[in-house]
Amino acid sequence: MHIDRYERAWLTAVGIALGAFAAAMAAGFILFGIRLPSPVARINPNTFAGTPYANPGIKSLGGGRYEVFMTAKMWSFDAGRDSGPVGVPPRVKIPRGSEVTFYVTSLDVDHGFYIEGHAINLEVIPGQVARATVTFMQAGEFNIICNQYCGVGHQVMYGSVVVQ
Amino acid sequence: MQLSKETPAVLPVLELPRLAMLRDERFLVGAHIITAFAALSIGALMGPFQAFHRAPAFVEAFPDATIPVFSYYYQALTAHGTLNALFFTFIFISGFSYFMVGRSLRRKLWSLPLAWAGFGAMLVGLLMMLFVLVTEPQRSSVLYTFYPPLIAPPTFYLGLVLLVLGCWITAANVIVTANLWRKEHPGERLPLAVFAAVANHWMFIVSSIGVAVEVVFLLLPASLGIIDRTDPQLSRVLFWFFGHPLVYYWLVPAYISIYTVLPQQAGGKLFSDPLARVAFLMLMILALPTGVHHLFADPGVSEVNKAIHTFFTLLVSIPSFMTAFNIGATLERAGRARGGKGLFGWMFTQKWTDPSVAAQLVALILFISGGISGIINASAQLNITVHNTSWVPGHFHQTVGGIVALTYIGIAYWLIPMIRGRALFSKKMALAQVYTWGLGMMLFGHTMAEAGLAGVPRRSLTGISPFLDEASKYWLNGAAISGVILLISVTLLFTNLVLTLAGSPKPLADVPEIQTKGDPRSPMLLERWGLWVGILAVLTLVAWAPVFAEAISATQGFQILRFLPTGVPMP
Ligand code: HEM
Ligand SMILES: [Cu+2]
Ligand SMILES: [Cu+2]
Repeated sequence: MHIDRYERAWLTAVGIALGAFAAAMAAGFILFGIRLPSPVARINPNTFAGTPYANPGIKSLGGGRYEVFMTAKMWSFDAGRDSGPVGVPPRVKIPRGSEVTFYVTSLDVDHGFYIEGHAINLEVIPGQVARATVTFMQAGEFNIICNQYCGVGHQVMYGSVVVQ
Repeated sequence: MQLSKETPAVLPVLELPRLAMLRDERFLVGAHIITAFAALSIGALMGPFQAFHRAPAFVEAFPDATIPVFSYYYQALTAHGTLNALFFTFIFISGFSYFMVGRSLRRKLWSLPLAWAGFGAMLVGLLMMLFVLVTEPQRSSVLYTFYPPLIAPPTFYLGLVLLVLGCWITAANVIVTANLWRKEHPGERLPLAVFAAVANHWMFIVSSIGVAVEVVFLLLPASLGIIDRTDPQLSRVLFWFFGHPLVYYWLVPAYISIYTVLPQQAGGKLFSDPLARVAFLMLMILALPTGVHHLFADPGVSEVNKAIHTFFTLLVSIPSFMTAFNIGATLERAGRARGGKGLFGWMFTQKWTDPSVAAQLVALILFISGGISGIINASAQLNITVHNTSWVPGHFHQTVGGIVALTYIGIAYWLIPMIRGRALFSKKMALAQVYTWGLGMMLFGHTMAEAGLAGVPRRSLTGISPFLDEASKYWLNGAAISGVILLISVTLLFTNLVLTLAGSPKPLADVPEIQTKGDPRSPMLLERWGLWVGILAVLTLVAWAPVFAEAISATQGFQILRFLPTGVPMP
């Protein structure tokens, strides 16, 4: 098949550019350890007894590392009573510089879990545990926003991480 | 429908300049195109109002304002998504496919009655969707992706089933007609438009199996109360098996116009027919093994599967880069022939004042921007920063709302006059519509992208959200301004189309010429459909079997209860 000289050059350039993209992504995974959400555990949202979600909250692992167990339901997040009373958007308090792993699951429908200014963005799906780890280097209050449509109150479903 | 050239005298041939349109064909194509644009007229009208209600400044200024027709925000959003992205596009694609196939092959369709049956199914589906959206605003607000465990009334799903059924009929009709033609013309190449349509409909048949299984076996029974549990992760996997090919199903007909009609409209000839075929085949084969890039943030899909689909996603961008070259070269030659000089002079000598050409050129410009943001979406790591934020609608209004919708509009500017047999009501109005659309979508894409980077979620009535910072509000208000420009554009579009259908005073003049010959230099290998569909099937199996295995092993027997969008479990 005849391919024009310039088109050959163009396609070569495209090939090189895509190769570079692929290499950059592979480097992100392998060299910089950037992770995507992946299967952690399945859970039955109708029976949380005996799982950490029966009592959501913050657990210190020592050495500046924390685990935060949270649930999402129409239309609020719950991070346990350390983060505020029931029915008020939770404020999860974390010391500056900590490495925090969030474990989030849903009690009802799909929700989203997004923290402003940090690379964490999860689909929170009933039956699945969504996990991601972030380090909070900067002091301040960062909103946690539900960014997956979850019914009529979706636009008011939020919380925050307070980094002190 | 009879198209034989030998006996025009006895046939009801419409006397048109370069292109005849027969009575049957005119009705069939006309029914599709007019219904499609009727769906768009409701769906697109919602868009600007969504943009207004998402803007805090608007809600502050007009706290009592409501959206026309669908007053509840998520009802309007569901209407916008389903009517624009599913009903308008699918019904248009069927009508346009029938037109291009009949026209390029100069042959009647395999089955006209079947084609009408398909149209009937789509029309009834559309009416059912409108009915359920109007009568059950809250329960049917599950958006156009209808993720369970949110469950809508059965009418919602039945409407979609009928729509897809109609598309399958179109696909069968197009593929069988092309095969019959090939038997009658041994050794000849299919005309490019038909080649592309066949590839597109094969891709649709294979990919829609995912959504059909989801709707028929999971959602409809859940909605009818036959089963009371669902599995949301499995559903999302089934949906996106279809969801990514869907975007090419929209795009290929726009490419058909740009590859096979635009070159003549622009005053030139397509640069390379064989490479266009390679591009269409690549789109068909690579559309399926890529869908997991919509599930990068899902907890139930492993990183290995995400990486494999990312690899294919990079490959599937190649046909669009090929298109950029092929169409760029075509337009450059046409522009130079019209007196364009120097490196860029040819860009200024395009027919910027011909509405149909201008629509397609502006569509291509929007696609450059939408394509670049698409590559960002596809980069697994960058995706995490934009997933489910306003960035995403910012991106796809330059793709499905840009190159796809605007090219379809550019087609309507000559096809609807042909159907009506009179000229377009106003060329000036059409030009104003095209340029306001281009400007509006550019601004909308930019403001929504910035809002997304500032953290604004998508699919949300953000005008009343309590958590927005100043930057978020600023960009959302900006998006509302683009909504004003687009509202003007939508109004111009439908005023012009309605007045054209009412009968413009001017007789039909310009009708574009359509390629009826395939390039004989194109390798016959490209026409081996068994081979290509086989490769498509194998790649699909290899790329998706592990994803399904993972999702199915994770269901633990369907434990998830059904919910209504109002927040209560379904009885
Ligand atoms: C005419 C001008 C248009 C405007 C001003 C507009 C505006 C919008 C806005 C503001 C949203 C986001 C709503 C949200 O996330 O809460 C949206 C969503 C959407 N639009 Fe448009 N739109 C227009 C035309 C179109 C067209 C022509 C199409 C397709 C053919 C389209 C397809 C979609 C889709 C698929 C969604 C996503 C719905 C969802 O997330 O469920 N729009 N549009
Ligand atoms: Cu939500
Ligand atoms: Cu995709």
